[in-house]
Amino acid sequence: MARLYCAAMVASVLALTQICSDANAQECEAKVGVVGPMSGGAALWGISARNGTEIAASEYNQAGGLPMGGKKCKVVVVSYDSKYSAEGAAAAANNLASQDVSVIVGPLGSPEATGIKPVAERNKQVTMNVVYAKDAIGPQWPLAFHAVPGPGAWAKPVVKMAKEKFDLKSIVVVAPNDQGGTDTATVAVDTYRGEGIDTKEEYYQRGTTNFAPIVARIMRSDPTAIDLCTSPPGDAATLVKQLLEAGFKGIFGRLGGAATNEIIRAAGGIESLGNFYWLESVNVDPARLEAIVSAQKGLGQSPGDSTVVAIFAASGRLAMKAISNAGTSSDGVKVAQELRKLPLDDPWLAKGDWTGMSAYGIRQEFGFPVGMGLIVNGKNLGVTPISVADQ
Amino acid sequence: METAVSAGIIGIGLGAQYALLSLGFTLIYGILGVINFSHGGFYMLGGYVAFAVVSKLGLPYPVAVIAATLGCAGLGALFELLVLERHIDDHLATMMLTMGLYLVMGTVLVLAFGTEPVEFHSPVSGVWRSGRIYVPYANLVVLCACLAAIAGIYVLLYKSNLGRALRALADDRPVATALGLPPKILFPAAFGVATGLAGFTGALVTPILSLHPHIGDSILTISFMIVILGGLGSVVGAAVAAFVVGLVEAYSSIYLGGSIGALTLFLLVLATLVVRSTGLFGRQVRAA
Repeated sequence: MARLYCAAMVASVLALTQICSDANAQECEAKVGVVGPMSGGAALWGISARNGTEIAASEYNQAGGLPMGGKKCKVVVVSYDSKYSAEGAAAAANNLASQDVSVIVGPLGSPEATGIKPVAERNKQVTMNVVYAKDAIGPQWPLAFHAVPGPGAWAKPVVKMAKEKFDLKSIVVVAPNDQGGTDTATVAVDTYRGEGIDTKEEYYQRGTTNFAPIVARIMRSDPTAIDLCTSPPGDAATLVKQLLEAGFKGIFGRLGGAATNEIIRAAGGIESLGNFYWLESVNVDPARLEAIVSAQKGLGQSPGDSTVVAIFAASGRLAMKAISNAGTSSDGVKVAQELRKLPLDDPWLAKGDWTGMSAYGIRQEFGFPVGMGLIVNGKNLGVTPISVADQ
Repeated sequence: METAVSAGIIGIGLGAQYALLSLGFTLIYGILGVINFSHGGFYMLGGYVAFAVVSKLGLPYPVAVIAATLGCAGLGALFELLVLERHIDDHLATMMLTMGLYLVMGTVLVLAFGTEPVEFHSPVSGVWRSGRIYVPYANLVVLCACLAAIAGIYVLLYKSNLGRALRALADDRPVATALGLPPKILFPAAFGVATGLAGFTGALVTPILSLHPHIGDSILTISFMIVILGGLGSVVGAAVAAFVVGLVEAYSSIYLGGSIGALTLFLLVLATLVVRSTGLFGRQVRAA
């Protein structure tokens, strides 16, 4: 009887401890925002960003909460569909500010970054964008961080490697005719030309559904390669489908956001696609890919692009660590101060360096290594890591 | 020379798609006086119904196209009967209601199929080639369907009793109603025909291009532009304008580039409206 009593006591104490621990974690909340396109042609990127941030939040929540000001707080992710537009992202910053969110992971598109920066600065919100715009970050926006290395850091080594691999003679760079397309396309064009490749640029109106005229125009110049640049995944997939229909037998490239699976699917398989090179915004160790997929499954998330998920999981981890060190999630200036002090060392992205000074005039870029993916003659050769550093 | 021929073929292909899209849009305005902002939604819905029938039920593609057409027609007729009919004379209310329906459709499709483009390929594959000129066979199917649809709508409106009744209601509803024509049956029927056409187009065109839950936005824009150019409510105008827009887009995009091509289209519509405010084949704005 006494044994039974003791066991019951121990069980009660343990249960109470657990309840207290849970209650402690529930006592306070650390809110982190996610801004990106959750619908439309670029939805894959936005959803992947949300997935990544939620994975980072779940890591802390499963460990009892995020240490903040002597308490363990539940990390709450608040996402907002900015629809790949400047006005959507500006509205997102205000909406999140009204919910006391001062740290935002995202946005993902250049128009979104243009829209969010002034509003977030006014609201004293930290943002972590992944856009390839020339003014993605800058000294005039001290709370804006860049979560991936920009084209200035990777364009040259990637183009050089593509030229060597495929003997590129001529290329057409295709992108939407807005800031989201032109900013990266112009850097890509300059870099291809710098490598002595005959380069043309083609822009299309965002929202185009049938690319047949653009395809015919591209085919007139008979290029050896076509770079789909930052076209949203849906557009890139339709372009590839229509280019193959038109009889294009050359090389596809993509110095822009992730869309490899969509492109392979649209082509009707990896063999039909033939030759393809693409930039991986960060280099994810293949051994980690399974962990990323299973982390998404574990949270019941709709599957996102593993690279984008990894980028945002890393950004989320950094944001949450900075919030923890600052002791607050509602003071963006304090969080930014702590964020700048953190070393870049992520379990999925490996070690990186703080970069951005040469390209943007401010050292607020997470310089994790990038990667270059290769499909040659219908065979996937995987991703080669490329280190980046301030030039 | 080959480029010019290619541009012409592409323009006709685009025109066929645009004609299918804009016929339903102009039909609803011509008969009911309603600007249907959910038109792009029915296009999307048609695509998704066809996709679901093929991929989830495993039925053949032609069955999927029929299912999409009938499904969209049924939903459209029901929406007109139960919701739109009560506010049919209030232009602002009908605009808001159709816009609301579009948002609801988009959200339901996101919940059902997710936000990403779905993998939906046309069963008609292969390309006819001669030098640099090429025509995907799937585009030929769309062109044939378009010509059949134009002929069908023409017969329906101008050679059938139903068409006469619909035109009578469009011209003068009080008199037509006094003569015994029942708008509560004919208006849902007209709305159903138009939305069925949008669903049919979605089922035919989305496997060639792409299918995602926000594709309706750009469909509405292009349909609206064509219908304005052709003359709001004019079936012939919509068909002619669709091919004009298709050809202008193809030639300007191929010779001047994608950005200038899009600009040329807007300038064309602007110039037409300055010279002829009712569009190419439009009449004085209807009284309804």
